[in-house]
Amino acid sequence: MGAYSKLFVFSALLLLLLPVPILLVNASGEDVASLALTEAEETLASTHEAVLEAEQAGANVSGLLDKLNLGAEYLAEAYVWYRLGVSENASRFAGLCYEVVGDLKSEAVELRGEAKRLGDAEFVVTMFGSIVGMIVVVVSGYVVWRVFKRRYRRQVLGLRPEVVSGES
Amino acid sequence: MNLDEYRTVFLVVTLGLALVAAYPALAMVVPFTGGSEEFSEFWLLGPGHTAADYPFNVSDGEMQSIFVCLGNHMGSSEYYMVYVKFGNSTQLDFDSSKPGSLPPLYEFRVFVGDEDVWESPVTFGFQNVYIGDTVLIVDNVTMNVPIEDAVLSVDDVIINGMVFPVDASTTWDSEKSGFYFRLSFELWRYDTMLKSFRFHNRVVWLQLNMTGS
Repeated sequence: MGAYSKLFVFSALLLLLLPVPILLVNASGEDVASLALTEAEETLASTHEAVLEAEQAGANVSGLLDKLNLGAEYLAEAYVWYRLGVSENASRFAGLCYEVVGDLKSEAVELRGEAKRLGDAEFVVTMFGSIVGMIVVVVSGYVVWRVFKRRYRRQVLGLRPEVVSGES
Repeated sequence: MNLDEYRTVFLVVTLGLALVAAYPALAMVVPFTGGSEEFSEFWLLGPGHTAADYPFNVSDGEMQSIFVCLGNHMGSSEYYMVYVKFGNSTQLDFDSSKPGSLPPLYEFRVFVGDEDVWESPVTFGFQNVYIGDTVLIVDNVTMNVPIEDAVLSVDDVIINGMVFPVDASTTWDSEKSGFYFRLSFELWRYDTMLKSFRFHNRVVWLQLNMTGS
């Protein structure tokens, strides 16, 4: 085999091999983007659930919702790029979403704990206040009733006609 | 009034006051539900931020703007997604109980607090709008295709600055005299039980008469 033939065969082999890495690079780019999207999506959803729990415990979650919204905006953009086939941008925006939302869950859990403590204290105070209020109302009612009854009887007895000896 | 009647009045008044005193505690223990319906509102506004002047006649390269809005009355903060789709009236035949079959082009994701309203501007336009096969050759005779048989196609939709290739075409609507397309907005809501988005039975759309370039 001459030098030219060897060069030709070598070139042909190279040409055959060329699309393989390109395909691999493409596939891995798409996979990376898909993985990043799934990770960001799961983080966003689980953080939302933590925020919901904090909200149900009575915490003010408006600040957390603002941050979640920024993450959601990034994730939406990531999905749009992904559907357009631009994996790099999809990964970048999914990463941004993860960065924004990543630490929010612990913040939400903390806020929930705080709200729960406050809620428990409020519950005890309200219960105590209500029970004391009820006792005060019932006792006061009874006392007022006794006083009223005594006065009423005195008044009615005072009005009772007395039997006096008849005068002719 | 005799003493027995006074006693009844006292008892009723005391019980009433006791109930008032017990109300804060009762409210914490007994869930007073019912009365408020849980729902989400979803609507579009025209470029002037009012329910008027919605884009209707659109042409190649011309940009339009509207606002997409939603209100949360679900009793807690919600995670919503809005899918934007484009197609002809057959592709986007609306039934609010199920989402359109076309894949979304653009999407919004948003967390909306209870009793809060969210809105976002949407600018959109179309590129590469053309009527295919305007002439017909029959027996070596060139004839113009009548408008009733013409097909108008759109190759690109631009939404908020991003270009989306689409495969959308429509025929002449002789009843309404135009080539009609639809730009739809579907509302999806994250279901925390299913841990995924579910179509929220709300679709709003714009009917667009493509007038070519």
